[in-house]
Order: sequence, then structure tokens, then C-alpha cells
Amino acid sequence: MAATDTSTVDTASRAKALDRLKLGDTIFKNLTFLSALTVLLILGGVLISLMHGAWPAFREFGFFGFIAGESWNPVTEKFGALAPIYGTIIASFIALLIAAPVGIGIAIFLTELCPMSLRRPVGIAIELLAGIPSIIYGIWGLFFFAPFLQVYVQPALIKTFGSVPVLSTLFSGVPYGIGLLTASLILAIMVLPFITSIARDVFETVPPVLKESAYGMGCTTWEVVRNVVLPYTRTGVIGGMMLGLGRALGETMAVTFVIGNAHKVSASLLAPATTISATIANEFTEAVGDIYTSSLIALALILFIITFMVLSAARFMLMRLEKQKGA
Amino acid sequence: MSLYTNRKRKSVITMMLCYGAAALGLSVLVIILATLIFMGARGINLDVFTQMTPPPGSTGGGLLNPIVGSLFMTGLGVAIGTPIGILAGTYLAEYGRHSRLSTIIRFLNDILLSAPSIVIGLFTYQILVAPVGHFSGFAGAVSLAILVIPVVVRTTENMLMLVPNPLREAASAMGMPRSLVIKNVAYKAAQAGMITGVLLAIARVSGETAPLLFTALNNQFMSTNMSAPMASLPAVIFQFALSPYVEWQQLAWTGALIITAAVLALSIGARALSSKRT
Amino acid sequence: MLTMPLPKTATKVKVSINNLKFFYGSSIALKGINLELNEREVTAFIGPSGCGKSTLLRVLNRMYDLYPNQRAEGEVLLDGENILSPKQDLNLLRSRIGMVFQKPTPFPMSIYDNIAFGIKLYEKISKSEMDGRVEAALKRGALWNEVKDKLSDNGLSLSGGQQQRLCIARTVAIKPEVILFDEPCSALDPVSTAKVEETIDELRTDYTIAIVTHNMQQAARVSQKTAFMYLGELMEFDDTQKIFTSPSNKRTQDYITGRFG
Repeated sequence: MAATDTSTVDTASRAKALDRLKLGDTIFKNLTFLSALTVLLILGGVLISLMHGAWPAFREFGFFGFIAGESWNPVTEKFGALAPIYGTIIASFIALLIAAPVGIGIAIFLTELCPMSLRRPVGIAIELLAGIPSIIYGIWGLFFFAPFLQVYVQPALIKTFGSVPVLSTLFSGVPYGIGLLTASLILAIMVLPFITSIARDVFETVPPVLKESAYGMGCTTWEVVRNVVLPYTRTGVIGGMMLGLGRALGETMAVTFVIGNAHKVSASLLAPATTISATIANEFTEAVGDIYTSSLIALALILFIITFMVLSAARFMLMRLEKQKGA
Repeated sequence: MSLYTNRKRKSVITMMLCYGAAALGLSVLVIILATLIFMGARGINLDVFTQMTPPPGSTGGGLLNPIVGSLFMTGLGVAIGTPIGILAGTYLAEYGRHSRLSTIIRFLNDILLSAPSIVIGLFTYQILVAPVGHFSGFAGAVSLAILVIPVVVRTTENMLMLVPNPLREAASAMGMPRSLVIKNVAYKAAQAGMITGVLLAIARVSGETAPLLFTALNNQFMSTNMSAPMASLPAVIFQFALSPYVEWQQLAWTGALIITAAVLALSIGARALSSKRT
Repeated sequence: MLTMPLPKTATKVKVSINNLKFFYGSSIALKGINLELNEREVTAFIGPSGCGKSTLLRVLNRMYDLYPNQRAEGEVLLDGENILSPKQDLNLLRSRIGMVFQKPTPFPMSIYDNIAFGIKLYEKISKSEMDGRVEAALKRGALWNEVKDKLSDNGLSLSGGQQQRLCIARTVAIKPEVILFDEPCSALDPVSTAKVEETIDELRTDYTIAIVTHNMQQAARVSQKTAFMYLGELMEFDDTQKIFTSPSNKRTQDYITGRFG
């Protein structure tokens, strides 16, 4: 044994060495704490700055007057948020209506049907869809998807539903290509990967023994999905759908390209419309006058509050599922 | 027996629909990428990377200034956001793992993660553009940093949570101060996952457009001055795609191809890194 | 391996535990333990799962402080100083009381750095001195011959038994006064176990050692004193030889003869 090995280090010199590290230790701890607070600060800052910026508009038109106002006229400086709010909600809702069943279908495919060797590549491919920047969807939608709809799909819709009551209103007008329906479809494509990957993740939390016992009773794949997987994961799937909805509500660039930017509440899904984010993206840098700018910020505030509520609900549901999983 | 046939048929039909859904999802991905490559590759040449954006209606020109602008703002945004995100994630996973405050921060961070980026852009405009009276590359970088933070917080926390507790205990048992336990042991063990998180964050912000519209605006000329308006690829794509000029539209497609290639390379790289770890 | 216990006056008490109680939240895990650890002796703690033996070990270096809602009452004196006092510097305490865990926990860095890392915390020494210290520590951990040609390899590349000896070497390197072993061999094969036991026996010449083990043969092999614990209480504490040949407590006898546990 080396001689140094058995010598002892005296406690005092150790204490001194540790003392030197103490300052750094405290600084690091406080830095992490401050950084964590930054998250709160940002969210609080967003809320306060938007409220501050939106104040003139709300004072001018009244809160409900602004929300329910239909006109959006920069010349007369009269602004109401009804058309963008309507467009935002309808577009997101239709997007979810399409993306949710397709996303759940893909998730079922990935967890129940897909051969093991294909699961990862297909899963990754779907997730890559989520990584594509929204402006790409926008330019693709404008130059490829909208003309395609205009030539092949929209005339067919108008012809098919032209004589059906209610539906004839939804699909009335001229096939512009761009418009509310096109925006909804692009949004559906964009939120599809989010819904898919969350649905897949929650489906994978189903204990195999539950599924096996159902298969053991002679259930078909659909019956197992319908009676075991879906009931077991209901909260998580709804949470995932809400998360997708949250994304769709705030999505800007893809929509801005294809919605047509018309401040109108129109019954037809083929007509040009606008959403909150598209309005802001199109008009903010060109807005002149305090009331105009303030009205746009007020729109952002409304969007922020809506998405906040939707995303909170989504997180609550997903958190409940995690607790259930942990227990 | 007919009941059984009926049940079976129902199952086959629904499962076919699931196959169809998967096929639909994949074909959309393929169609988008194919369109992008077809339209974008036509415009790829050396000029794209060496020339400035052309004035309206003229031919030629390239995307040098927006590419440089994007690199600058993304770089600065990531440089600001990553340390804050890593430190905040460290707080949530280490010092404050069980605290009530962490639960709240964790929840709000998840909201911030999916918050509309256009709102973040307006917020940055309110605090960094409106008070000084002009747009700036710096404001653009800050708005990107705000988008980077929640992504990095989330992955850092998750990765640190995966570090086994006995490893921390072993380090503490040697008398190592907590900060050294974290920096020298926990970070080392979580390294690959944390880098993956940063790469994903870069991928996310490098295609962001909305927040840049009101912060960095755009710039027709080459500028590396962070306190002046600055061009960025997404903003140029937005402007050029919606213009009536064919040359501009072509440049928009080419820019879109460049961004997508960069983003996909980043996310595939991030995935490869995280799968190598396990 | 066992020698006759020395008369009380010749051994020095290193750690003295007086009326120690421990709580996980509101449930009590240790119900008033009184016990002394002698210098240069191995004290083994045995007992069925959940008897509190590991908890006791984790009080001695205040490992429990890492977690909320865990607290200790009573007194633990290290050289006469109460380490449960809130004024106790935990890092300093842990530099004096080292610990080796159930599962090997090499740090995700090279073998050399695994050892050097701890030393650097407390001492500023030259590279050549450090080399010497690392070598000495690895020799003490009976690992030197196996790793001397691959010191820059990652510690995780070693086998389980080697990893555990690396952890022992790492603990020894910072020269603690007391070493705690928390079931150090439960994840190891018999050959590695024998090596680790040998190492522990050699360490006894310089350190005060406490070892928690599930394996009664191991306790008999490596320790001079044995404490039998049951449901958070110390049932019997005596010379190892005495415990394993003529225990005075009925439960101890039942446990060591395998009637329960």
C-alpha cells in the first residue's frame, strides 16, 4: 500500500475546501430557481402586456361590443372581433373533426396492426410531419392544395350538395380554392401528427394483460379496441385531441396563406374568411393608429385566453392519466 | 354462426379504415415532400447562397441575406434560451422536484410549449420593439428564445428524471455539493437526451415565421446588425410566396426546401442521438 | 477470521447512537436505537426486510436529507459531535463517512475520473500525486491489476463486480473515517462477492465499517459485531460470534436459523 493511502486528511482543511465551493453552489441553485421563475415571468408578462395593449380597444368598443362586433373597418376605425373569432373556432373545429378520427385510426394501426419492424419508421414519419414548419404547409396549401381543391373537389361538393338542405348553404358559392374549408383541411393535416403521437402513447399505457384477456375471450381486434383500449385511455385521448385543438387555434402561417383574409361571417365553408392569427399576421405591421393596433392586440389577447383554457384542460386530462398510470 | 361472421366483418372493416388512415397520413407526408422537392430543387443554384434577395420584378438574386439573418437570429435565440431552459429544467427535476411551485411551473411551461407563437411575437413587439420605436434582429432572437425555453425545460426535466437516484446519492455520499452532483454526474448521465432537446428546439424555431414578422420584420439587404431590422428565411418566404412575381415565388419555394431540409435533418439527427443512448 | 473480542477498554468508540428515532412522514421506522460502532471494527446489521437496517445506515451520513418528509430524532455522535444537529455541514460529514450502495453506481465518466473526482473536491494536488492516489485507491479496492491498462475507459464498461470495487476505491480515495456498506454484494455473483468481502476485511485495519446485509453468512464472515434488528427496533447487539452461536434473544435465534425472514 502506498504510504499516502493511510494518511488522514484533517477535517479543517476539508471544511475549507468545501467552503470554497459553497458560493458556487448557492449561485447555481439560485440561478436554476430564477430560470424556473422566468417561465412564470414570461407567461405573466404575455398576459399583462397584451392586456395593457388591448385596453384602448376595449375602452373604445366595450369588451362585449368588441367580441360581438362584426365590422372591421380601418378607415372608419371601427373594429369588431366576431369574424376572426368565428373563423378561428370553425376552422379549428372542422380540423379536429377530420384529424381526430384519422389520428386515432393511425394510432390503432401503430399499436395493434402494424408489424413490429414497421412501427418505429412509420411512427417517426408521422412525427416528422409535426416537425415541418407551418409556413411550408402554407406555401404548399397555396400553390398545390388550394388549386387542387378548386379544380377537383369544390365543384364536386357544390354539385353533390347543391340540392340538399343545410348542406347546400355550407357548400354554396364559387370555388375559389382558398377559403375556410381549405384552411380547415390544412389545419387538420398539421394537427394530425400531434393527435396521433399522443393517442399512440396513451394506447401503449394499456396493460397488455387487459388486452390479452379480452382476446382470450375471443374478442375481435375492433372489439378489443372498442371495449378495452378506448375506455381505458379515454381521458388521454381527449386530452390529446384538446392539445391538437390548442395547436390549431393558434396556428398562423399555414392558415394565413389559404384562408383568403375576408372579415366576413359567411355560412358557406367555401367562402374566404379569416382567423385571429391570420388577421394579426396580415395587418399588424401595416396597422396605423392606436385603435387599430390595440384592436389587433385585443384579438391576440382573446386568442391567448382561448388557447390557454383549451391547453389547460388538455394538460389536466393528460396529468390525470399519468397519475392513473403511476398508481 | 352468423353473429360471429357479423362481428368479424365489423372488425375487418374498422381495421381496414385504420390501415387507410395510416396510408393517408403517410401519403400526405410524401406528397408534401415531393411537391417541395419538385418545386424547390428547380431553383437551387449557387446564386441562392451567394446573392441578395432581388428587388421586385427582376430576375436572378438569391437568399443570402435571409439565410444569414436566420442563422444569426436562431443562433442568438438558442444561445439565450438554452441556458435558461436547462437551468429551469434543472430546478424542476432537482431542487424543486417535490415543491408546489414546480407543479405550477411545470403546468404553465406545458402551456407555453403549445402557446400560439404569434402571441409570443406580439409580446416581444410590446416589450422590445414598441418602446425603442424600431424593429430589430435582437427582438427577433428574443422571441425565438421564448419559444426555445419551454422545449428545453421539458426535455431537460424529463431526461434528468430518468437519471437513477442512487447515482445522485452516491455522489452526495462523497460529500459532493448538490450543484456539483448535478453538473458533473446528473448532466453527464442525461447528456444525450438534453442535446436531443436542444436540437429539437432549434428545429422548431428555425422554421418559425409568425413571431419574426413583428420583431425582426425583414430587410432587403444584407445586415448583421442585431439592432436593425433583419431578414429571415421564413419571413422572405411569406413575402415572396404571396407576391405576384414568378421569380419571387420560385425563391420562396427554394427557401422552403432549404428550411425543410434543415429542420428534418435536425429532427432526424436528434432522434438518432436519443435512440443511440438506449 | 474472527478473533477474540478485545476488552472494551482497548477499543475506541467512533460512532455512538443514542435513542435514535426515524420517521418517513408520520410513520416511524426506527423506534429508539442505542448502539455504538467501534473504530477499526466491522459492525454488521442483519434483520428481515423493512426492519430499518438500511434506514439506520442512511441516518449515519444523513442521506435522508435529500428527501422531503424524512426526519430523525435523538443523537448520533461522531467523535462526540452530534451529526444530527442542524448546524452540521452535510458535505463535510459525508466526506468523513463514506458509503457504498446496493447497486454499483459508477459515475458516467472514465475509471480514472471516477476516483480523481472525489479527491479534487477536497485537495489540490499535482497530476503525478493524483496518479499515485488513484493507483493507491484502486489497489485498495483490489481493482488495480484489472484496470491499470484502461484507466481512461468509461466506468460503466466494467463488469458488475468491478464496478462495485470501483465504487469502494472511489470511497476510500477521499479518506473517510467511517465507511457504510448498504448490501454491497446483493447484485453480485459469488466470485465478486468473495473479492468484495476480502476488500472489506482489509479495510478494517484503517476504518470504522458498518455493513447492512441480507446474507447471514456474510455477516458472520466479515464482521466483529452484529446487530439484529426487527421492526425498527434493535433486538440484539453483540459480538458476531456470540450472535451466531448462542443468541440470547429468541427472535434472533429464529432469524439466524432461518425460521423466518
